[in-house]
Amino acid sequence: MDDLILELKNVTYCVNGVTFLDDISFDLKQGDNLLVFGPEASGITNLSGLVLRTDSEYEGEVLYKGEPLKSLDYFGQLMHKKDIGYVHGDYGLISNMNVEQNISLPLEYHSKMTGPEIKKHVGKIIYDLNLDHCRKLRPFDLSRSEILKTTFARALAMDPDLLYLEYAFEDQCPLNIKTMMNILSERSKLPDKSLIIITYYPWNFVDISDSFIMFFNGRIVFSGGRDDFLNSSNPYLLQYKNKSIEGPMVIL
Amino acid sequence: MIKEISIYTGSRALSIYRGIADFTEYTKSIIFSLRSLRYLSFRSIYNIIINQTKFTGVDALVIVMIIALLLGGTVIIQALTSLPKFGVEGFLGNILVIIIARELGPLATALIVISRSGSAIATEISVQKWSREILSMELIGIDTKLYIIFPRIIASIISITSLIIIFDIIAFIGGYLISQTVVYIPMDVFAQTLIDSFTFIDIVAALIKGVIFGITIPLISCYYGLKPSSKFEIPIYVSKAVIRTLFVAIIVNILVSVLFYLL
Repeated sequence: MDDLILELKNVTYCVNGVTFLDDISFDLKQGDNLLVFGPEASGITNLSGLVLRTDSEYEGEVLYKGEPLKSLDYFGQLMHKKDIGYVHGDYGLISNMNVEQNISLPLEYHSKMTGPEIKKHVGKIIYDLNLDHCRKLRPFDLSRSEILKTTFARALAMDPDLLYLEYAFEDQCPLNIKTMMNILSERSKLPDKSLIIITYYPWNFVDISDSFIMFFNGRIVFSGGRDDFLNSSNPYLLQYKNKSIEGPMVIL
Repeated sequence: MIKEISIYTGSRALSIYRGIADFTEYTKSIIFSLRSLRYLSFRSIYNIIINQTKFTGVDALVIVMIIALLLGGTVIIQALTSLPKFGVEGFLGNILVIIIARELGPLATALIVISRSGSAIATEISVQKWSREILSMELIGIDTKLYIIFPRIIASIISITSLIIIFDIIAFIGGYLISQTVVYIPMDVFAQTLIDSFTFIDIVAALIKGVIFGITIPLISCYYGLKPSSKFEIPIYVSKAVIRTLFVAIIVNILVSVLFYLL
């Protein structure tokens, strides 16, 4: 139990009478990599609000490193968010800061590192992600892959124990983000670092994921390991893999 | 007809009350955020303070100096030509200090800052909100109220108080030089009159107005900047930010003036 980084226990999340998550339970061990997928409006988008503690109006419990997130006070919430590296498909880079400043931002705000230490640390991340040529450019001047890599670098800057990637790779050229995927792959092998990927394209991340969860209508309809994902005859999974509109899921 | 007027007045009053209550909540949340100052390293807001001070203060210097020169010249010419007609030329210094240093300087400076920086702050914040930049800051554990608003208030206080001092100096010196084209008064007499009329209270009143404007202008501009929920609402809230900050600045100016006259 001690090595669980995240636990959701019987979580039900409703807004204005609409149920987005219905009695969801799963956990994530330290060092494990979880892939969450499902069709639109299946509830996978609502998970981030609970895990990042931007929302607490739910039933059940969400625990991060054993601590219930609901009980966090204002400052506790800020510290919790600092602990998770979050990358969203909207990226949200600060438009009046260049690549280097965007990556440095969490370090300058949270860390005790000195200015030169931050510069050195950020310089290494920039080098690893092949962003050296655009370190002084602002988001407006960057390509899509450079924006993603900068956002990814910002999420990694604090070396978080949990990395949460939400629709981050959608509409990206696989060649241009190759360096990033290599870093992600290396990170996924570390015993103390965990990863959650939220995506519509689970087959792109089979190699780096240890467990797979599929949502539909706010419920978990499939969960299992890599072999289960590849070989299971679960009708929901099969329908999703086959991109078929016929099956147990009614797709509008 | 009376019923319609009553309904309109009532709904407007209710809307104003809700607006004030909402703004009070917002202000309280910022005051609460000040507690997370201990988590904030100064280096992370240093650049924002420098950039905002440059934009609000340094970049506004030329327009403030030109307006100070013109307004100072106008007031001094009017005072030098009109006061003798009423036999109160002995109050020349007092009137100039009251009008320029205590009233015109702070208010004109505030109006310039609102039209330049207030609108810019509201636009910048609302665009950042729309493009989810503010949300992304929140999601890396940044206290956005503190990180966005606090440095702008610091920069605004520094800029506005400095601009008021510069405005007053230019208005007196430049205004005197302009007035010499119309009415002659020896420099030493003019300077001595002003020095005799200046009191400590005059300087404090002007600076207190600067500090209050420095707090209220970014506070209200950020409040409206954080309001839009779609990009189509951005111009509406930017316009509201400017108009309501202007209104509040005039009210603050009157309140502080009244307070200091009562002292």
